[in-house]
Amino acid sequence: MLMCRDLARIASDYIDGELGPMDRVSVKMHLMMCGHCRTFIGNLRASVDLINAHSSQQVDEEFVRRIDERVTESLNARNSGNGNSD
Amino acid sequence: MDTATHQSDEDILIQGLKSGNQSAFRKAVRLYTPGMLAVARFYLDHSAAEETVQDCWVTVIDAIQKFEGRSGLKTWLHRIVANRAKNHLRKAKREVSADFSETLDPELADRFAPNGRWATPPSLKINESAQALMENDALSDCLDQHLAALPETQRSALMLYEAHQHKSEDVCNILDVSASNLRVLLHRGRQKIFLMVETFQETGEC
Repeated sequence: MLMCRDLARIASDYIDGELGPMDRVSVKMHLMMCGHCRTFIGNLRASVDLINAHSSQQVDEEFVRRIDERVTESLNARNSGNGNSD
Repeated sequence: MDTATHQSDEDILIQGLKSGNQSAFRKAVRLYTPGMLAVARFYLDHSAAEETVQDCWVTVIDAIQKFEGRSGLKTWLHRIVANRAKNHLRKAKREVSADFSETLDPELADRFAPNGRWATPPSLKINESAQALMENDALSDCLDQHLAALPETQRSALMLYEAHQHKSEDVCNILDVSASNLRVLLHRGRQKIFLMVETFQETGEC
Protein backbone atom coordinates (compact mmCIF):
# COMPACT_ATOMS: atom_id res chain seq x y z
CA MET A 1 0.00 0.00 0.00
CA LEU A 2 1.17 3.50 -0.83
CA MET A 3 2.21 5.45 2.28
CA CYS A 4 2.43 9.23 2.64
CA ARG A 5 6.22 9.16 2.28
CA ASP A 6 5.97 7.15 -0.94
CA LEU A 7 3.50 9.65 -2.29
CA ALA A 8 5.79 12.55 -1.36
CA ARG A 9 8.56 10.89 -3.38
CA ILE A 10 6.51 10.71 -6.58
CA ALA A 11 4.41 13.84 -6.09
CA SER A 12 6.05 15.80 -8.92
CA ASP A 13 5.59 12.90 -11.31
CA TYR A 14 1.90 12.85 -10.38
CA ILE A 15 1.54 16.61 -10.90
CA ASP A 16 3.27 16.44 -14.29
CA GLY A 17 1.29 13.41 -15.45
CA GLU A 18 4.45 11.29 -15.66
CA LEU A 19 3.18 8.35 -13.61
CA GLY A 20 2.13 5.04 -15.10
CA PRO A 21 -1.58 4.14 -14.85
CA MET A 22 -1.17 1.83 -11.82
CA ASP A 23 0.80 4.36 -9.76
CA ARG A 24 -1.64 7.04 -10.76
CA VAL A 25 -4.57 5.04 -9.44
CA SER A 26 -2.67 4.32 -6.19
CA VAL A 27 -2.00 8.02 -5.68
CA LYS A 28 -5.62 8.91 -6.38
CA MET A 29 -6.87 6.29 -3.92
CA HIS A 30 -4.47 7.55 -1.28
CA LEU A 31 -5.51 11.15 -1.86
CA MET A 32 -9.16 10.24 -1.37
CA MET A 33 -8.35 9.02 2.12
CA CYS A 34 -5.58 11.37 3.21
CA GLY A 35 -6.20 15.07 3.81
CA HIS A 36 -2.55 15.76 4.66
CA CYS A 37 -1.39 14.46 1.32
CA ARG A 38 -4.13 16.42 -0.48
CA THR A 39 -2.77 19.56 1.18
CA PHE A 40 0.78 18.54 0.30
CA ILE A 41 -0.01 17.99 -3.37
CA GLY A 42 -2.02 21.23 -3.51
CA ASN A 43 0.80 23.22 -1.92
CA LEU A 44 3.44 21.62 -4.10
CA ARG A 45 1.36 22.52 -7.15
CA ALA A 46 1.02 26.09 -5.85
CA SER A 47 4.81 26.21 -5.44
CA VAL A 48 5.28 25.13 -9.05
CA ASP A 49 2.86 27.86 -10.20
CA LEU A 50 4.79 30.34 -8.10
CA ILE A 51 8.09 29.37 -9.71
CA ASN A 52 6.49 29.85 -13.12
CA ALA A 53 4.96 33.22 -12.28
CA HIS A 54 8.16 34.44 -10.70
CA SER A 55 10.83 33.27 -13.09
CA SER A 56 9.14 34.34 -16.28
CA GLN A 57 9.36 38.01 -15.22
CA GLN A 58 13.07 37.99 -14.56
CA VAL A 59 15.29 39.83 -16.99
CA ASP A 60 18.60 41.32 -15.91
CA GLU A 61 18.39 44.69 -17.71
CA GLU A 62 22.07 45.48 -17.34
CA PHE A 63 23.12 42.15 -18.81
CA VAL A 64 20.65 42.45 -21.69
CA ARG A 65 21.99 45.93 -22.44
CA ARG A 66 25.56 44.63 -22.59
CA ILE A 67 24.52 41.91 -25.03
CA ASP A 68 22.64 44.45 -27.17
CA GLU A 69 25.79 46.54 -27.37
CA ARG A 70 27.97 43.63 -28.44
CA VAL A 71 25.45 42.41 -30.98
CA THR A 72 25.04 45.91 -32.42
CA GLU A 73 28.82 46.28 -32.63
CA SER A 74 29.14 42.97 -34.47
CA LEU A 75 26.25 43.76 -36.80
CA ASN A 76 27.80 47.13 -37.66
CA ALA A 77 31.20 45.59 -38.21
CA ARG A 78 29.64 42.97 -40.44
CA ASN A 79 27.64 45.52 -42.44
CA SER A 80 30.57 47.85 -42.96
CA GLY A 81 32.59 44.86 -44.05
CA ASN A 82 35.87 45.82 -42.42
CA GLY A 83 35.02 45.95 -38.74
CA ASN A 84 35.30 49.74 -38.58
CA SER A 85 32.97 50.51 -35.69
CA ASP A 86 34.04 53.99 -34.65
CA MET B 1 -2.01 30.45 -26.28
CA ASP B 2 -2.70 30.62 -29.99
CA THR B 3 -0.06 28.41 -31.55
CA ALA B 4 -0.62 29.66 -35.08
CA THR B 5 -0.10 33.28 -34.10
CA HIS B 6 2.85 32.34 -31.93
CA GLN B 7 4.45 30.48 -34.81
CA SER B 8 4.09 33.33 -37.23
CA ASP B 9 5.53 35.79 -34.67
CA GLU B 10 8.52 33.50 -34.38
CA ASP B 11 8.83 33.25 -38.16
CA ILE B 12 8.86 37.04 -38.47
CA LEU B 13 11.50 37.25 -35.77
CA ILE B 14 13.66 34.63 -37.51
CA GLN B 15 13.39 36.51 -40.80
CA GLY B 16 14.50 39.67 -38.99
CA LEU B 17 17.47 37.88 -37.45
CA LYS B 18 18.47 36.39 -40.79
CA SER B 19 18.50 39.80 -42.40
CA GLY B 20 20.62 41.21 -39.54
CA ASN B 21 17.89 43.55 -38.34
CA GLN B 22 18.96 45.27 -35.14
CA SER B 23 15.55 45.53 -33.55
CA ALA B 24 14.88 41.84 -34.23
CA PHE B 25 18.07 41.07 -32.32
CA ARG B 26 17.02 43.37 -29.48
CA LYS B 27 13.72 41.58 -29.23
CA ALA B 28 15.27 38.11 -29.39
CA VAL B 29 17.96 38.98 -26.84
CA ARG B 30 15.32 40.18 -24.39
CA LEU B 31 13.11 37.18 -25.01
CA TYR B 32 15.63 34.36 -24.97
CA THR B 33 18.53 35.48 -22.77
CA PRO B 34 17.02 34.43 -19.41
CA GLY B 35 16.54 30.85 -20.64
CA MET B 36 19.98 30.76 -22.25
CA LEU B 37 21.51 31.90 -18.99
CA ALA B 38 19.65 29.14 -17.14
CA VAL B 39 21.17 26.60 -19.53
CA ALA B 40 24.69 28.02 -19.12
CA ARG B 41 24.35 28.13 -15.34
CA PHE B 42 23.74 24.39 -15.30
CA TYR B 43 27.35 23.95 -16.37
CA LEU B 44 29.22 27.11 -15.41
CA ASP B 45 29.61 29.68 -12.65
CA HIS B 46 27.87 33.01 -12.99
CA SER B 47 30.53 35.03 -14.80
CA ALA B 48 31.55 32.23 -17.17
CA ALA B 49 27.86 31.63 -17.92
CA GLU B 50 27.26 35.29 -18.76
CA GLU B 51 30.31 35.35 -20.98
CA THR B 52 29.16 32.21 -22.79
CA VAL B 53 25.69 33.63 -23.43
CA GLN B 54 27.16 36.88 -24.78
CA ASP B 55 29.48 34.98 -27.11
CA CYS B 56 26.57 32.86 -28.28
CA TRP B 57 24.61 35.90 -29.38
CA VAL B 58 27.53 37.06 -31.48
CA THR B 59 27.75 33.58 -33.01
CA VAL B 60 24.03 33.63 -33.73
CA ILE B 61 24.45 36.59 -36.10
CA ASP B 62 26.03 34.23 -38.64
CA ALA B 63 24.70 30.89 -37.44
CA ILE B 64 21.07 31.94 -37.87
CA GLN B 65 21.54 31.69 -41.66
CA LYS B 66 21.75 27.93 -41.22
CA PHE B 67 18.71 27.71 -38.96
CA GLU B 68 16.18 25.54 -40.76
CA GLY B 69 13.41 25.54 -38.23
CA ARG B 70 13.53 21.82 -37.43
CA SER B 71 13.30 22.77 -33.77
CA GLY B 72 11.90 25.99 -32.35
CA LEU B 73 14.18 29.01 -32.13
CA LYS B 74 14.32 28.74 -28.33
CA THR B 75 15.45 25.11 -28.38
CA TRP B 76 18.01 25.87 -31.08
CA LEU B 77 19.47 28.74 -29.04
CA HIS B 78 19.52 26.64 -25.88
CA ARG B 79 21.41 23.87 -27.67
CA ILE B 80 24.03 26.32 -28.91
CA VAL B 81 24.54 27.59 -25.37
CA ALA B 82 24.68 24.06 -23.96
CA ASN B 83 27.33 23.00 -26.48
CA ARG B 84 29.49 26.02 -25.82
CA ALA B 85 29.12 25.64 -22.06
CA LYS B 86 30.06 21.94 -22.29
CA ASN B 87 33.15 22.82 -24.32
CA HIS B 88 34.10 25.40 -21.75
CA LEU B 89 33.70 22.83 -19.01
CA ARG B 90 35.74 20.25 -20.91
CA LYS B 91 38.58 22.72 -21.41
CA ALA B 92 38.55 23.47 -17.70
CA LYS B 93 38.53 19.68 -17.11
CA ARG B 94 35.53 19.94 -14.85
CA GLU B 95 32.30 18.05 -14.59
CA VAL B 96 28.79 18.87 -13.46
CA SER B 97 28.16 17.30 -10.11
CA ALA B 98 24.66 16.55 -8.95
CA ASP B 99 23.11 14.16 -6.50
CA PHE B 100 20.45 12.05 -8.17
CA SER B 101 20.30 9.37 -5.50
CA GLU B 102 17.50 10.62 -3.25
CA THR B 103 14.22 12.06 -4.48
CA LEU B 104 13.07 13.34 -1.08
CA ASP B 105 14.54 16.51 0.34
CA PRO B 106 16.16 15.61 3.73
CA GLU B 107 14.13 18.26 5.54
CA LEU B 108 10.91 16.85 4.15
CA ALA B 109 12.02 13.26 4.73
CA ASP B 110 12.37 14.07 8.46
CA ARG B 111 8.70 14.90 8.63
CA PHE B 112 7.57 11.31 8.19
CA ALA B 113 7.16 8.75 10.97
CA PRO B 114 8.93 5.38 10.63
CA ASN B 115 5.64 3.85 9.43
CA GLY B 116 5.66 6.21 6.43
CA ARG B 117 2.84 8.48 7.58
CA TRP B 118 3.18 12.20 8.16
CA ALA B 119 4.63 13.04 11.59
CA THR B 120 4.63 16.77 10.80
CA PRO B 121 2.07 17.25 8.05
CA PRO B 122 1.76 20.43 5.99
CA SER B 123 -0.09 22.77 8.29
CA LEU B 124 -1.54 25.41 6.02
CA LYS B 125 -3.27 25.13 2.73
CA ILE B 126 -2.19 27.64 0.09
CA ASN B 127 -5.37 29.10 -1.31
CA GLU B 128 -4.16 32.18 -3.14
CA SER B 129 -3.21 32.09 -6.79
CA ALA B 130 0.44 32.42 -7.76
CA GLN B 131 -0.25 35.90 -9.15
CA ALA B 132 -1.80 37.00 -5.84
CA LEU B 133 1.12 35.52 -3.89
CA MET B 134 3.63 37.31 -6.10
CA GLU B 135 2.08 40.65 -5.18
CA ASN B 136 3.59 40.15 -1.75
CA ASP B 137 7.03 41.73 -2.22
CA ALA B 138 8.51 40.02 0.83
CA LEU B 139 7.47 36.61 -0.50
CA SER B 140 8.76 37.44 -3.96
CA ASP B 141 12.15 38.49 -2.48
CA CYS B 142 12.23 35.34 -0.40
CA LEU B 143 11.56 33.25 -3.48
CA ASP B 144 14.43 35.04 -5.23
CA GLN B 145 16.78 34.16 -2.41
CA HIS B 146 15.72 30.54 -2.31
CA LEU B 147 15.91 30.06 -6.06
CA ALA B 148 19.38 31.60 -5.99
CA ALA B 149 20.40 29.24 -3.18
CA LEU B 150 19.32 26.08 -5.04
CA PRO B 151 22.07 23.88 -6.48
CA GLU B 152 22.68 25.10 -10.06
CA THR B 153 21.54 21.84 -11.57
CA GLN B 154 18.17 21.96 -9.80
CA ARG B 155 17.66 25.61 -10.64
CA SER B 156 18.47 25.21 -14.32
CA ALA B 157 16.17 22.20 -14.60
CA LEU B 158 13.36 24.16 -12.94
CA MET B 159 13.89 27.23 -15.09
CA LEU B 160 13.92 25.32 -18.36
CA TYR B 161 11.04 23.05 -17.51
CA GLU B 162 8.78 25.48 -15.67
CA ALA B 163 9.61 29.02 -16.65
CA HIS B 164 10.69 28.36 -20.22
CA GLN B 165 8.18 25.59 -20.83
CA HIS B 166 10.50 23.10 -22.48
CA LYS B 167 9.35 19.53 -22.90
CA SER B 168 11.19 17.00 -20.70
CA GLU B 169 12.83 15.51 -23.75
CA ASP B 170 14.30 18.87 -24.76
CA VAL B 171 15.54 19.62 -21.24
CA CYS B 172 17.24 16.20 -21.10
CA ASN B 173 18.94 16.90 -24.42
CA ILE B 174 20.04 20.40 -23.53
CA LEU B 175 21.29 19.52 -20.06
CA ASP B 176 22.58 16.07 -20.93
CA VAL B 177 20.69 14.27 -18.18
CA SER B 178 18.55 11.15 -18.28
CA ALA B 179 14.77 11.45 -17.97
CA SER B 180 14.82 9.93 -14.49
CA ASN B 181 17.59 12.24 -13.29
CA LEU B 182 15.66 15.23 -14.61
CA ARG B 183 12.68 14.08 -12.55
CA VAL B 184 14.91 14.03 -9.43
CA LEU B 185 16.26 17.53 -10.11
CA LEU B 186 12.78 18.96 -10.64
CA HIS B 187 11.30 17.30 -7.59
CA ARG B 188 14.17 18.29 -5.31
CA GLY B 189 14.03 21.91 -6.44
CA ARG B 190 10.26 22.07 -6.07
CA GLN B 191 10.39 20.64 -2.55
CA LYS B 192 12.80 23.38 -1.49
CA ILE B 193 10.41 26.03 -2.77
CA PHE B 194 7.46 24.22 -1.15
CA LEU B 195 9.29 24.30 2.21
CA MET B 196 10.13 27.96 1.76
CA VAL B 197 6.54 28.94 0.97
CA GLU B 198 5.31 26.93 3.94
CA THR B 199 7.71 28.64 6.36
CA PHE B 200 6.80 32.01 4.91
CA GLN B 201 3.07 31.36 5.27
CA GLU B 202 3.49 30.19 8.86
CA THR B 203 5.91 32.77 10.18
CA GLY B 204 5.83 35.64 7.69
CA GLU B 205 9.60 35.30 7.57
CA CYS B 206 11.95 34.09 4.94
